[in-house]
Amino acid sequence: MCARCLEISRRSLLVGGGAAAAALHTGVASARVRPQDMVPLVGPGYRPTERDEIGLWQLMERAEEEIAGSNLLIQDPKLTGYLRDLIGTVGGPAAKDFRIYLARIPEFNAMMFPSGFAVVFSGLLLRMRNEAQLAGVIAHESGHFLRRHMIRSWRDQKRKSDLFSIGAMLAGIGGAGAGVYLGDYVQLAQLGTILSLFQYSRAMEAEADAMGAKLIAETGYPPIEMANIWEQLIGEENASARYRGKHRHKGGLFDTHPSEGSRMVDLRADAAEITVPGKPYDNKRGHYLDMINSIRPTLLDDQVKLNDPGASEYLIQTLAQDGWDGLLRFYEGEVWRLRNRPGDEPRAAQSYAAAVAYPDAPADAWRWHGIALMKQGRATEAKAAFARYLTMKPDAPDAAWVRQMAG
Amino acid sequence: MNRISKLGLAASALALGACSSVGSEGVGYSAYSAVPVKRVTVGDGSMVVSAPRPWNRHRPIFFEDIRQVEDWTLNGPILDGISFVTGLKDGKSLIRQRRTANQQVPVFRSNMTPPEVAAMIESLYRVRGGSVDFRTLSLQPRPFLGANGFQLDYEHLDDDELWRRGRAVGAVIDGKLYLVLLDAARSHYWDATLPDYEALVASAELRRA
Repeated sequence: MCARCLEISRRSLLVGGGAAAAALHTGVASARVRPQDMVPLVGPGYRPTERDEIGLWQLMERAEEEIAGSNLLIQDPKLTGYLRDLIGTVGGPAAKDFRIYLARIPEFNAMMFPSGFAVVFSGLLLRMRNEAQLAGVIAHESGHFLRRHMIRSWRDQKRKSDLFSIGAMLAGIGGAGAGVYLGDYVQLAQLGTILSLFQYSRAMEAEADAMGAKLIAETGYPPIEMANIWEQLIGEENASARYRGKHRHKGGLFDTHPSEGSRMVDLRADAAEITVPGKPYDNKRGHYLDMINSIRPTLLDDQVKLNDPGASEYLIQTLAQDGWDGLLRFYEGEVWRLRNRPGDEPRAAQSYAAAVAYPDAPADAWRWHGIALMKQGRATEAKAAFARYLTMKPDAPDAAWVRQMAG
Repeated sequence: MNRISKLGLAASALALGACSSVGSEGVGYSAYSAVPVKRVTVGDGSMVVSAPRPWNRHRPIFFEDIRQVEDWTLNGPILDGISFVTGLKDGKSLIRQRRTANQQVPVFRSNMTPPEVAAMIESLYRVRGGSVDFRTLSLQPRPFLGANGFQLDYEHLDDDELWRRGRAVGAVIDGKLYLVLLDAARSHYWDATLPDYEALVASAELRRA
């Protein structure tokens, strides 16, 4: 028996919670919700007053404590401060009450928990092309809180199934309150179970989309970027599935799975409706790149090394629409090298050669360029590339091996 | 690929466990068998090693394990593990995987250089081991099985929030990959198992057919 099968790690809590509860990916409305109809249902400093919601918040405080202490979080103060400022700008009336955490997980996701804290996955930062897109996702998540979706969905779920009751939840809290230590596994499993109770309906997703579009437009971001996010997500999922010879799952009328296509159409309509002619909108791409610049190589690294060539290549091509640079060319080469099909070796070699022509080529691009040249029998050029690598990264972990090659 | 394969293995192990409970009392099924302190063959039988003390060998599970890969542990796969790769052929991967899986462990190629083998190992951890952070500590030349090999040292943070440390000593011989790999929790278990690992690497020999 494998102990880890019983384990609910924080990541699976996050991922599980994300899939079931927070759901960038779930649901779409059958009828479009108009942004101007989206009025926040909570004001600043909101606290629950009803018994079930108070219990829920107490559980979420424990969940937040666990997540805040996780070593999977990225603690870079510049980045976390940036996210805090962003949710503080597009978070509507609750903007100053939200907390936001950045987890190092290379997936496209973000989630809002019922007590007003959000978790953003690092994979999201890689995929967003500008600040308006990131603000759009954060505003969408804020929309779930502002429209009280968690408690509403929880109450709906409860009516439909009698599997869990407030009593069971409160008993859990009582147990902890009485000093009964159940162990991390049990506590986290319990939290995971409770999180899985929140399943946003399609109507709720549509509300969050409309609310999000409204929030970012009010802040001066072009609302069309909300639709562009979904276009990019659909494109990436299609590319990944197509590459492995599969069809991407398509949501239907009776399907609870997403149907991002119709969601995108609705978001385009929202954008057209709320864009004020003559008003200046700014997607703040330059500011966004400044903010994530220090972590961008790590984000690309985390994605490309998963060896999902369809998705990675799509992502790189999407990011390159704003211009190629040494970093993107290098990671394009990495996609081919890891894919390693016949013909990929020369393809990767071309990308490395192209990458090192850019002034911002990372040191690793020189190393792989050197290895590619060595394999082609171009020893002198390979040595020069290795020498350049060692100059840029004198304490490289593989310096001993590279020196032997360059020797 | 000890810890990495155990998630996949769990289902099979569970099923076999259930079967064994039907049998006579007292004859339980264990996924492990003891490794005696003497020269033993590992993997597909082409490598011989001597363990300095008894370890536990994971029984191969049909359809899940690669014949050229054998996993050992001392304190359980979550805490420590040694894997032997005995002659992985060109075009094969270190772990069995579905052709349609979006994320795949890269396949081995006969012409791979040590950095390429190292990158393959890194992707194994990221794709199948749940590693969210993987740091190469060093990659250096090291003779292995009488060939020009390499030693890769690394550490990784996994989704169970534990930092683990690993070392892989390997070489490509006649176009096939031979590797002995230690992976253990960074605190305590790494130090506790490294001497055994080094003794195993030093004792490793190819078995002549």
